[in-house]
Amino acid sequence: MKILNNLAKTKFWQSVFRTKLPLSTNLDRSLVIFNSLTLHIHPVKVRLRAIKFSYTFYLGMISFFLFFVLIVTGVLLMLYYQPAIPHAYRNMKDLEYVVSNGSFLRNMHRWSAHLMVISVFLHMLRVFYKGAYKPPREFNWIIGIVLLVSTLLLSYTGYLLPYDQLSYWAVTVGTNIVQYIPVAGKEIRFLLLGGNEIGEYTLVRFYVLHCVVLPLVMILLIAFHFWRIRKDGGLL
Amino acid sequence: MMEKNNSGMKKSNSENKINRRKFLISLGNTATGIVVLGGIGVTFEYLTPNVLLEIPKVFKIGPINSIQPNSVIFEPEQRTFVVREEQGSFYALSAVCTHLGCTTKWNDIGAAGNSAAVISCPCHGSLFNKYGEVLQGPAPRTLDKYRVQLEDDKLVINTGEKVSEDEMILKV
Ligand code: HEM
Ligand code: FES
Repeated sequence: MKILNNLAKTKFWQSVFRTKLPLSTNLDRSLVIFNSLTLHIHPVKVRLRAIKFSYTFYLGMISFFLFFVLIVTGVLLMLYYQPAIPHAYRNMKDLEYVVSNGSFLRNMHRWSAHLMVISVFLHMLRVFYKGAYKPPREFNWIIGIVLLVSTLLLSYTGYLLPYDQLSYWAVTVGTNIVQYIPVAGKEIRFLLLGGNEIGEYTLVRFYVLHCVVLPLVMILLIAFHFWRIRKDGGLL
Repeated sequence: MMEKNNSGMKKSNSENKINRRKFLISLGNTATGIVVLGGIGVTFEYLTPNVLLEIPKVFKIGPINSIQPNSVIFEPEQRTFVVREEQGSFYALSAVCTHLGCTTKWNDIGAAGNSAAVISCPCHGSLFNKYGEVLQGPAPRTLDKYRVQLEDDKLVINTGEKVSEDEMILKV
């Protein structure tokens, strides 16, 4: 404790953590929250039930945590993966059998992705059964739907990347479903595939969607989602 | 109520007059609009490839006297079945399932309770007879048939040209 107190007096500590220690008043305590980017994910004052496990089952936070795991493992996987047709499948095999801990990383990415779909879905159910989609939270519900769709799209685009038989036919079937969208279906399919059939361009397009576009959309929307929870008056 | 409406009308009338400020604002908005639309258009054009290294639509097979009667040749690249029935009767059938586009398989000895030759899809279980007619869904329509022509002693098949049942068979 004494070491900590001394540490808290150093210039370095004070330049990182903006609140001066030790804390004595309630104002000091609330300043800790105010002054920290990470801690102010919660408001200074929250209702007790909002942080109770049985209230939210932490499903939103679990989704967020899984998203974080996916970013970390995904960035690491990118270092051994090339989105080009002769390479993609071999890179994936190398990750499984040659790269140290590669199969662990790959499985971590895969399982987190499955779990995230489940947890986002359960989170949505919880919000629904609580009636938390009602005004003033309707817009956050819509953001949530876009987050759910982005989560599914991330899973779908990621599925092509190993470029094995499962990938190939899943994307064949999926993009043929897209083709049935009225009016623009055929054009959307052509743009998604970058051609009439799955090929080099398709792999790169799905790769860019999976590794850049959709994660960016996700990050922006999650930030907005959290901000709206606060502005809508905290958890219902 | 009436008075309010009237004054409102008057106001909007005077607002409709174009002064310098309004002119410049709408000029700016129009310019921004054009640039945004142009940007979207240019981006879509960029996203549409001009050159595609896809397999050619027309291919040749033969010479025809090396193709056995009652046999099927599957061209994996073009995803096409080329069938010779009797001596002088050929047709070409797309192997692309009409449900959601998987490649089907020709089973000479039949399958799923059919004793005659059938074409089956591995993805969701569609079945077709050897002319591509649907025996079992979810496929919604018959397999595409392509135009087959004779050039010297070879068959020329054009997967870009779909034909009807009456035109599908080439008699030699
Ligand atoms: C990427 C996926 C998502 C993440 C990371 C996420 C994150 C969160 C978090 C951390 C909370 C705080 C409460 C809690 O933990 O339950 C929350 C609340 C909320 N979420 Fe999500 N969420 C996601 C998807 C969704 C979906 C699919 C919906 C619904 C369509 C949705 C609608 C809401 C609403 C309306 C609230 C406020 C709940 C209340 O006031 O009780 N979210 N979200
Ligand atoms: S794609 Fe052939 S049955 Fe669905």
